[in-house]
Amino acid sequence: MHKLLCFLAATALFLGTGASAVAQDPSGAREGLPPRVQGWSKTAIETAGSLPIQDGGRVKPLSTFAKFTLLRLNGRSTAKDNEGNPLSAMEWLLDVMVDPARANQYPVFQVQDSAAVHSLGLSVANKKRRDRWSFDELRPGMPKLFEFAHDYSSIDAKVRTSVQQQVIQLAEAVDIYLGLAGFLDFARAELRPLTKGGMLADEFGTESLTFTDVVRRAGDLGDISERLQNSTDPLAREASAELGHMLRAVSELGRSSLHMAMQPPDAELNIREAWHTPGEMLMTAFNGAVLTRLEMDSLVALEQLGDSLQDDGRIDMDQADAALAAVAGATKPLAAARGETRRLDLEVTYYKLDLLTYSLVAFVLAFLVTAFSWLRPGKTALARVSFGLVTTGTLLLCAAIAIRCVIRERPPVSTLYETLLFVTATGALIGLFAEWANKKRIALAATAVLGMVGLFLANGYETLDKKDTMPSLVAVLDTNFWLATHVTTITIGYAAGMFAALLASVYLIARSFRRRAQNPELFGALARMTYGTLCFGLVFSLVGTILGGIWANDSWGRFWGWDPKENGALLICISQVAILHARMGGYLKEIGIAVASAFGGTIVAFSWFGTNLLGVGLHSYGFTSGISQALWTYYGIQWGICLLGAVALVRESRPAPAPEARSKSAFEPRTTT
Amino acid sequence: MTAVRSIGQLLLRFFSSFGLSVALLVLLGLLTFLGTLAQVDRGLYDVQKSYFESLFLVHYVGGIGIPLPGGNLVLGLLAVNLVVGGLWRLRNRKNVGGIVVVHIGILMLFAAGLVKLKDSDDGHTTLYEGDEKAYFQSYHVNELALLKPQADGRLEVRTLDALAFESPKSGLPVRVPIEGVPFDLEVTRYFINANVRPKGPMFNAPTPVIDGVFADPLPQDAQNERNGAAAYVDVIAKDGTRQSGLVWIYDTAPWTFTVGGETYALDLRRKRFDMPFRVKLEEFRKEDHPRTGMPRWFSSDVAVQKGATSRLVTISMNEPLREDGLVLYQASWGPSDARPGDRLFSTLAVVRNPSDQWPLYACIVIAVGLVWHFGRKLIRHLSREVART
Repeated sequence: MHKLLCFLAATALFLGTGASAVAQDPSGAREGLPPRVQGWSKTAIETAGSLPIQDGGRVKPLSTFAKFTLLRLNGRSTAKDNEGNPLSAMEWLLDVMVDPARANQYPVFQVQDSAAVHSLGLSVANKKRRDRWSFDELRPGMPKLFEFAHDYSSIDAKVRTSVQQQVIQLAEAVDIYLGLAGFLDFARAELRPLTKGGMLADEFGTESLTFTDVVRRAGDLGDISERLQNSTDPLAREASAELGHMLRAVSELGRSSLHMAMQPPDAELNIREAWHTPGEMLMTAFNGAVLTRLEMDSLVALEQLGDSLQDDGRIDMDQADAALAAVAGATKPLAAARGETRRLDLEVTYYKLDLLTYSLVAFVLAFLVTAFSWLRPGKTALARVSFGLVTTGTLLLCAAIAIRCVIRERPPVSTLYETLLFVTATGALIGLFAEWANKKRIALAATAVLGMVGLFLANGYETLDKKDTMPSLVAVLDTNFWLATHVTTITIGYAAGMFAALLASVYLIARSFRRRAQNPELFGALARMTYGTLCFGLVFSLVGTILGGIWANDSWGRFWGWDPKENGALLICISQVAILHARMGGYLKEIGIAVASAFGGTIVAFSWFGTNLLGVGLHSYGFTSGISQALWTYYGIQWGICLLGAVALVRESRPAPAPEARSKSAFEPRTTT
Repeated sequence: MTAVRSIGQLLLRFFSSFGLSVALLVLLGLLTFLGTLAQVDRGLYDVQKSYFESLFLVHYVGGIGIPLPGGNLVLGLLAVNLVVGGLWRLRNRKNVGGIVVVHIGILMLFAAGLVKLKDSDDGHTTLYEGDEKAYFQSYHVNELALLKPQADGRLEVRTLDALAFESPKSGLPVRVPIEGVPFDLEVTRYFINANVRPKGPMFNAPTPVIDGVFADPLPQDAQNERNGAAAYVDVIAKDGTRQSGLVWIYDTAPWTFTVGGETYALDLRRKRFDMPFRVKLEEFRKEDHPRTGMPRWFSSDVAVQKGATSRLVTISMNEPLREDGLVLYQASWGPSDARPGDRLFSTLAVVRNPSDQWPLYACIVIAVGLVWHFGRKLIRHLSREVART
């Protein structure tokens, strides 16, 4: 972090020098820009979106890169331009790359507390406390932003104030933005013309050089420099100095294009080599290597893309379309030869289909229809519609998970985000099975609620985390065998635990309104489903926890280390085993088991997310900042529901107003286990 | 006789009861939860020892101490409860085959844990490329090593576990008689964590200054591996003369002294364990995910030398080497700031655990038992539900 912020400070200085004046000219940023009359063509957006880029350790579509970059800056994956028109992430990224002076006016820097911006000496008079700021609005505070961020980064993260933390985050966001906005500087910037009729112009055969010309002639530069230095011509000294100026300018431009690696190296040369940025290609050429035809084509195409911004501030869309197609033509074949584009189109399709949103809609509708069907108990058609909607939501969710598995060639769960999807899908499947076995529409409603909440949380987590949800994994996690066995198993255990807690919560809420004897069938069915889900959960929690120990034994040399995440899993097992033993011993009856199961939901939540918040142990790899509030809310709700159960128990312990038929409880201990 | 029998039956009933099971499970859950939270301030190692590998402990909430049974006591009682209630009492019951199998599996896990606790060693061996070692050293336990050069150039080594003077019952100093040498050792001061630094003219040293340096005590670090112990040791010859020395875990060379014309060296170091073979790091390899600092994989090619034979083995993440009762894991590497071409070192975690693979067998047994028991219950439940609807 410290090194990063030193770099940020350097970037700020770089900004201050006006070295990338094309992108960040402070004087002309607002003035002289014509209104946007034409958006990016559909072809341009689709072509650009499908371009491959190496980022975060993997090759992904540029549309994915745009989505998560914008999410990180803006807190959502869409933006608005300076006139309030909506922009997709890809349109925003194209604007930032090709027309940064315009994009500098888009309010895309989300600031949670305006005090952070105020601390930079900027006026916050016309802004809300939580608002979005444009680069141009933040520009006057930039020097202080990087200075403060540098200072605050040396403070332990645990004791930083909220404002300090936000200043650091804002500085990081601005740095990312500068990297994007400066990416095509090399294409836009005109190198100073060479002296007309001078020795250097003779050497190059032209007076007007571009970045690409220099890259193309890089192999000759050493010879040219040597000739000039050895020449006795008095003008050679001047030409040599001119060459030095030009190379410094080109190097600066190359440095501003280091943020996006869109050029795959030739597979025949080195399959493991990282992808290149234009700046790195320049350095490669300076080091004497000859760029391939496709590499040169790609540079020229990017140059054309940057050049599509006209002097009057408009973008030549035809030229931009052609340039993007040329970039695709120059990069995709090389990426394909390296076997890195196999799932690229599928990933573009995955985000375009947006299956998770449709799944969420289906669950919401299912819940509404189910609730309505309770008011009209005789209408079986409504129940069928509800079942169909829950099934549709579940299938869409399963399809999304399956596509993610294919894209990353991994089992379904490898990140905390994916646990949310998988727990929701597994819970929904358990619910559908329970509904199939016991057609009371209770499990159906619970499944719809679980689907809604699960997908809502997944969406919230993605927004909070602001990172690619299909990231590269650290070495110890990068094992499909253990991801498929331990992680999948324990996550099914989480799902069952949460679903059992949900069913138990429904039981307790219903029981707080009605005595058991008033509807023994309903309470009996709920109790049986809770118990069954609990047993199902125990199988997977216990086996999953032990499998985790075996994995740890093969990775770290110990089966059990009392690490928080291990303890969390153990707590789930202990709680479920304790409930079953208490039932067997007759200590917990129906309502007691419901209270314990509802409480068990908080144990699952603690194990799932709470242990990561502690920030200790070998498993502390998940980002969970901001999760705390949601977690405490859930704890509060569940504990409140447990209290309802206690109140119901006390109430029912008093004599009933009328004789009640005694019915056999599903939780009554039987003669066998 | 009847009274004895009734007491026996009472005990049997108590130890086989569901009440005891539930109480112990709740206690274990509470202990696990409190031990997890305590790690934030106290670190894993300390909590592991005081909460989970103890008979009793005192947990403090807002300065108020709450006595609790420790992990060893709770797990020990649970094991008894499991045997008496979960196996013996169920022996004549019907339809409990799956449950019995699960309980056997859990007992196997308990047994694995007990063996690991009582009869295992763990540590690491860190090797630069080209280095070879035939020992590994503990992450946590320290020892005093008395070294005496032999005529053939080898060292005669006598070691004393630091546990003997880390928390002595009668306090320091602790006198340590050593056989075969004409002197005793006396540990006069011992610090779990200290910094040894030169005594300057402008301040007073809180501890004795020896050869211009003194041990500056530091607070104990929650991460035990970071604690660097230091000890003041007196060498007491048979005639009663004393020589005082200061030894520190991070010393680059041991303290040397002479008694009766013989030279000895004393070293405070991490406890070492001999391996029945030598390992030589031939090459350490690592690869990051492209354009990130995140490791994709790393592995060590080591030559395992036993006698005159040597064979090359690759140890990588999730793929350890199991050899002669020891297991060697790829743990870490360094230096973290190495540049291309720099000599790298690899740290291999080494464990000697006779119950290494028992959890795997237990897992299979438990899975079979659970599927057997709950599968049977599910089928019975479904047929009832189908009949009902």
